[in-house]
Amino acid sequence: MSAAKTTRPTVPLRILTAVPVCDGHDSAVTTINIELARHGIEVIYLGYHQAASAIVRAAIQEDVNVVGLSSYNGGHIVFFKEVVDQLTKLGSGDIPVFGGGGGTITKADERVMKRQGTDCIYFAGTSLDTMVAEIKRNYGLVAKPRARFKGDRALARAITIAETESLEARRPRRAGSAGEVARAPKKKPFVVGVAGPGGAGKSTLIDELTSRFLRNNSAGRIALLANDPSHPDTGGAILGDRVSAIYSQDDRVFFRSLATRGSLTGLSAAAPAAIDILKNSGEFDLILVESVGVGQESDPFRILGKGPPLVDATLFVLAPYYGGRIQLQKIALLAGADLVALNKCDHPMAHTARAEIQARLDQNSKNQKLHATTAAKHFDLGVDALFAAIARRGHLPVSAGGEKACSTADPL
Amino acid sequence: MSQLGKIADSVDAYNAHVIAEVARARTDSKFAADLRARWAKIHETVDWTVSPTGTPLPRLALPQTDDPGVIAEYLFGQGLPGGFPYANAAYREMYLNRLTGTGEEPMRLFAGLGLAEDTNARFHYLGTHQKSLRLSTAFDGPTLYGLDSDHEGVLGKVGEGGVAIDTVEDMTRLFAGFDLTRKDASVSMTMNAPAPMILAMFIAAAKRRFGPGCAPNLRGTIQADMLKEVQAQNEVIFPIDASLRFLCDMIEWCVPNMPRWYPVSISGYHIAEAGATPVQQAAFTLSNGFTYTGLLKARGADVNKFGPRLSFFLDCGLDVEYLVLGRVCRRIWAIGMKEVFGAGPKAQILKLHTQTSGRSLIAAEFQNNLTRTAVELMLSYMNYTNSCHSNSADEPFTTPTERYATLASHGQSIIMEESGVFKHMMNMFGGAPGLLILEKQVEKAILEVFREMDTLGGVLPAQEQRYQRSKIQEAGHNYEKQIYAGARPIIGLNKYKSDEPMPSVPLARTSPIKQRLQVERLLAFKKKNAKKAPTALHKLENVARSGGNVFSELVHTVEVCSLGQITACLTNVVGKFRPMV
Repeated sequence: MSAAKTTRPTVPLRILTAVPVCDGHDSAVTTINIELARHGIEVIYLGYHQAASAIVRAAIQEDVNVVGLSSYNGGHIVFFKEVVDQLTKLGSGDIPVFGGGGGTITKADERVMKRQGTDCIYFAGTSLDTMVAEIKRNYGLVAKPRARFKGDRALARAITIAETESLEARRPRRAGSAGEVARAPKKKPFVVGVAGPGGAGKSTLIDELTSRFLRNNSAGRIALLANDPSHPDTGGAILGDRVSAIYSQDDRVFFRSLATRGSLTGLSAAAPAAIDILKNSGEFDLILVESVGVGQESDPFRILGKGPPLVDATLFVLAPYYGGRIQLQKIALLAGADLVALNKCDHPMAHTARAEIQARLDQNSKNQKLHATTAAKHFDLGVDALFAAIARRGHLPVSAGGEKACSTADPL
Repeated sequence: MSQLGKIADSVDAYNAHVIAEVARARTDSKFAADLRARWAKIHETVDWTVSPTGTPLPRLALPQTDDPGVIAEYLFGQGLPGGFPYANAAYREMYLNRLTGTGEEPMRLFAGLGLAEDTNARFHYLGTHQKSLRLSTAFDGPTLYGLDSDHEGVLGKVGEGGVAIDTVEDMTRLFAGFDLTRKDASVSMTMNAPAPMILAMFIAAAKRRFGPGCAPNLRGTIQADMLKEVQAQNEVIFPIDASLRFLCDMIEWCVPNMPRWYPVSISGYHIAEAGATPVQQAAFTLSNGFTYTGLLKARGADVNKFGPRLSFFLDCGLDVEYLVLGRVCRRIWAIGMKEVFGAGPKAQILKLHTQTSGRSLIAAEFQNNLTRTAVELMLSYMNYTNSCHSNSADEPFTTPTERYATLASHGQSIIMEESGVFKHMMNMFGGAPGLLILEKQVEKAILEVFREMDTLGGVLPAQEQRYQRSKIQEAGHNYEKQIYAGARPIIGLNKYKSDEPMPSVPLARTSPIKQRLQVERLLAFKKKNAKKAPTALHKLENVARSGGNVFSELVHTVEVCSLGQITACLTNVVGKFRPMV
């Protein structure tokens, strides 16, 4: 290897983008998301029709550099103020908020909004290049440890620091010195790694499992670590798992998106540290770690090697269209996973797939049970059974029998 | 093969049939003679009129030929106005009667701002010069998402961008002073996910004013197109299967009980506004329409009963394809409905509402928007749209103010009433070489999209794989890139810019006082019905759980329950929509 230059690797800027509540106009924000990612920025996209409280919760848990809101349906003066006020109230007033709304936000509105704490408004006609350059210049500060941060923000900042350190060290690390949240563990969480090929429906399944956790635990908390790939050339990423995670918009859920930043293990290099941080916080009963879509040899949670695995149990998720019986023989994780879920069981190929996978698992003689799930279907009994199996392993409470719909569902 | 593949094949087969008929007309002398005789008869039915400056004109423009091949090409390839495959127009005379004083104007007056009484006042103001009563309603964000005005965190959105409707009482205020049972009254509502609740409120409010038997007299349209919501506009509350079920429940109830009502407006407008090209707009809209037809048929509904109650809504922008988009859509719809769904003539006709493109309007030098809209109006009428809405020039920055809403409405009158273009002759443009070329190219491209979706399993599986969303987003991204690169000139934005500062325009905003008033009214309604609401919701829940027709219960539920209460109840039964990126 030639002598490496000792330039510091650039720490990607992390931005949260969203469209306010009761507004479905997402064409501007999706275009902007693409442009930001193309310029090396990590975009955590929350989606459209997002309540101020959901935006604030995501901004805090993701410890973003800045929040960008795209508003087209009016009511922006009230809404932006609500976001800024809630951030401040929760000790995260340091996260700036900017926005745009084509022609719907006027210059006069801008003056009021700036007075009320919004950092900047972009007007129609601003070129995407200008916007991206300004965002990088104005909000690109590298996060430092902050002792005054409390609660989720402290956890989130510790993970951010771990991300930066692991990027600089260029190697995975366990929990280190800087930014650690030192607290006596109140409870020991059960940590489950979730892996599987891209498109198997891992994110949806995790969200459905989250809803089961919330229903079965009246007070506990769950943490989700969603690993998603960075673009190999630009270094940017669109971390969009939150968009479809409808049950994770809850204060009892700590959701953190991690871009892989060049790590090829299926997890961010900071994931081991992030798991430790979450474990040591004593906050959580269950931690679900989602790997990126994995291939045949992958072992993101190190369950097949000699060392200690990163997680207490592994759930392998696959969809019926894996390409035939012979392919199943090649998937290393099927040999080691504690739990296996065949998702998308409403697919015509599911029946055959179920038999083939069960036969493959029987070869292992490890008593691995195959769970048939259709996570996209609401109130799926297969997901109930899968959650019950996880809960039994992790000694978490679970009600016997079928589930009832949550009687206080908030349609938002 | 999904139905979409069969539809694409049926259009190709029909085109081959036309070519064969043209060839036969040129070789088979008996067939040629029959065609000539038929052509002569058609000519005999055409009345004549005289322009104001004294030029005599036929009321229907026909190709000036007696070549049997040309006649066959025209009659089978395009069809007379009002004749299969309807490329030229849905009806024989379209605008002619309307403009001679016996019919209705094709224009609709769109409004929605503040509280119900504010929109009501706007309707009264705009309707001053209208002969017929054609109202079109925009709703605010909370209503569009099925939320009550007192839902946590939505107060700032109440009455913004549309009218706030929480209860049947708001609905009563919205149309106060209008006789909705008039023969020439027509109400359109831009409402989707909560369309069943809102239409139920509309019926309940009408019953309160015009008696319990008024539903058959109510005329209008509710958008209710959930597929385009999932693909483009993102106002979805319930999971897709439940959304489609509630929609089909509503359509099935409306067909026998509200025979003058169009219970769904299959919309490309929002697909185009979200970024789609004209071809994508047409392909996704038509394929969504065919999907609803398939779903309703699968439930046992009669295509000849519900088919005529389906209506369409397209965007008209400035791209060249818009010269023919309505024409091509009518043709594909007619052939697909006839050949694949076995529909009779009335169910073959695509009835079209067009709106000028909102996306084409910009804030910079916004008065140019008047010209943009005028050109789009011309294109819409050249496609013989059944009805039309013209956008206000100030829309890029506000809910239309009265001044620009009036100018937009007068723009239509200038084209339709002042100018002679559409007044005297039907079928002014059909058969022009440029149009024929465009029609062929656009149709071909639409069928290609059909076939691509067919390989994905059809509309619903493609949607699950986010095919439509990706295509729309990609096209939207291209559009933006073209603007920034200057490849798509936008006058005043990337070309011929002046330093003229933006003139200040009075904004239509809803005051916090009004927003609080809306919440107070809602709370009073909830208090008044506190005893009855739980029973009504329980009944609704039972119907929803047992698989009954939800709409037939909703018409009762809305008497005592608010929109938000109903949404929450149904969410408990069917779950929430999981959004897609």
